[in-house]
Amino acid sequence: MEAIKNALDFSDFPRLDLIIAGSVGIAFIIFPLFPHSSFAMSTMIQFLMFSLYGMGWNTIGGYGGQVDLGKAQYVGIGAYTTAVMLILWDVPFWVSMPIGMFFSVIWSFIIGYPLFRLKGHYFAIATIATSLVLKDIFEVWDFVGAARGLEISPIKYHPPDFLRLIFKEDVYYFYVILGFFFMGILYMNWFRKSRLGFQLRSIKDNEDVARSLGINVHWAKVKTYAIATAFVSMVGSFHACYIKSIEPEDTMSLDISILIALMAMLGGAGSLWGPIIGAGILIPLKSYLKEWLGAQAGLVGIDLILYALIIMVISAFEPRGVWGIVEKIRRRKRS
Amino acid sequence: MAFLEVHDLTKNFGGLMANDNISFTLEQGELVGLIGPNGAGKTTLFNCISGLYPITSGQIVFAGEDITKLKAHEVAQRGLARTFQVYVAAGDLTVIENVMVGCFMRTHLRSRARARATEILEDLNIDDLSDYLVNELPVAAQKLVTMATAIGSDPKLLLLDEVAAGLNPNEIEGIMASIRHVHDDMGITVMLIEHVMELVMKISDRVIVLDYGEKIAEGDPEAISKDPRVIKAYLGERYVQEHGVGQ
Repeated sequence: MEAIKNALDFSDFPRLDLIIAGSVGIAFIIFPLFPHSSFAMSTMIQFLMFSLYGMGWNTIGGYGGQVDLGKAQYVGIGAYTTAVMLILWDVPFWVSMPIGMFFSVIWSFIIGYPLFRLKGHYFAIATIATSLVLKDIFEVWDFVGAARGLEISPIKYHPPDFLRLIFKEDVYYFYVILGFFFMGILYMNWFRKSRLGFQLRSIKDNEDVARSLGINVHWAKVKTYAIATAFVSMVGSFHACYIKSIEPEDTMSLDISILIALMAMLGGAGSLWGPIIGAGILIPLKSYLKEWLGAQAGLVGIDLILYALIIMVISAFEPRGVWGIVEKIRRRKRS
Repeated sequence: MAFLEVHDLTKNFGGLMANDNISFTLEQGELVGLIGPNGAGKTTLFNCISGLYPITSGQIVFAGEDITKLKAHEVAQRGLARTFQVYVAAGDLTVIENVMVGCFMRTHLRSRARARATEILEDLNIDDLSDYLVNELPVAAQKLVTMATAIGSDPKLLLLDEVAAGLNPNEIEGIMASIRHVHDDMGITVMLIEHVMELVMKISDRVIVLDYGEKIAEGDPEAISKDPRVIKAYLGERYVQEHGVGQ
């Protein structure tokens, strides 16, 4: 009961934040009613997906301070579980998604348990390595289509198919992911106030102090890593139904891992709104850069240069990102 | 059986004897000071007792249970809390959030942790600081927050590592009153490392002295301040000879 109350309770935010958040939320809900291009719609869906990836990353990376650069492997596990189960056995999305989450969580325990013996940069590097290894395995694994990937052919189904999440119009996908998005915010609002959330913030600050306050540091990290994983895997499953064509290169590449971490850091790691703000800045930017500069001027890879610039700016000026700046200004005003 | 028993505790850092065969006991309800010159091994001893360092040899028994091999978080869960000398408190958490981290050891419920934290802050007279970030506060208040956080975990024994370091005489009075309050009114057994002699000698029932990793003396504050070995450790051999202390 108290968990639900905490999830719904946003009263520790200033009223201004809640008004902005509420208006943006309503704007999202009514967005499809207004005329929009399919490009704008797909950017919106991408934005919501990456917000959710970012929220997942934010548990372990933001609140826990364990920089994880291997989230793409869980996008892959989620996406492949859903795609394989749908294509081979006609298993609906709502069944395969939890199964994908289950696989992801198992895998996260297998690699998280030893990996969390590492600290700082070593942990980050190790997560990259496991993600790349898993991608390489998928690239040669015939059962999942190897490097060619898998194709969900919509002709076999009768859209709109709400069970299998096969739609013709993007607007259906938009509302499904928007639902996940709101649930994600509620979950994160609970998480940041939960016992585990407090323990992680203590761990981020000083592990020895956390230990002496009775916190099993290693187990808390492994647990949180599993939560982050479940988030990412869930959206990965959605990705499979939405994109309908998945291959290791575009579901599990390092780009995606970095983008997930970068967004959360840009918006403000360790804050509720951070990943959403980060995704709101980066995803449209990325889409437009790709669409205009990339395609028209042949400047492929301009988005990568941009990521590098953002990393440098964040680490040089405000490690806590956009939200860090907002909080700094507020504190200055108050005192 | 004593409340805390340390038997022949030895901690060896690759040839450096940080703690050499230290034995002592603590009774429930005592307030014991641990003193010694810099580098005597006081903080190492705390780290060994609280489980942060695995000890080289020896045995630690707390409330009848052998805790020698337990990990730090397991030791804490058995009611042995501590504060840190250098570390103050998580800077980007507010005061009450810091204390809540401690309280969350005993409860899963946020409301209960919050209520308990509020209670402790009121008890230590710092409830007006609840919503400040810890790094916005003066050092004396930060030290109280660390104490409050440790108390949040509902300890039976509290190890305080130099809570008075860097404070002015007024603030030392204040923190001394707080330690007394924790000990006398909350009923927590306290062991404290302290360099501020006025504080240690005034407040402690008993004082243990370390020098070069060994226990060189133990007794009531009065006797300790006259003990030639202690004076030698602090002021050197020559001082003892010239002033004929203790002879």
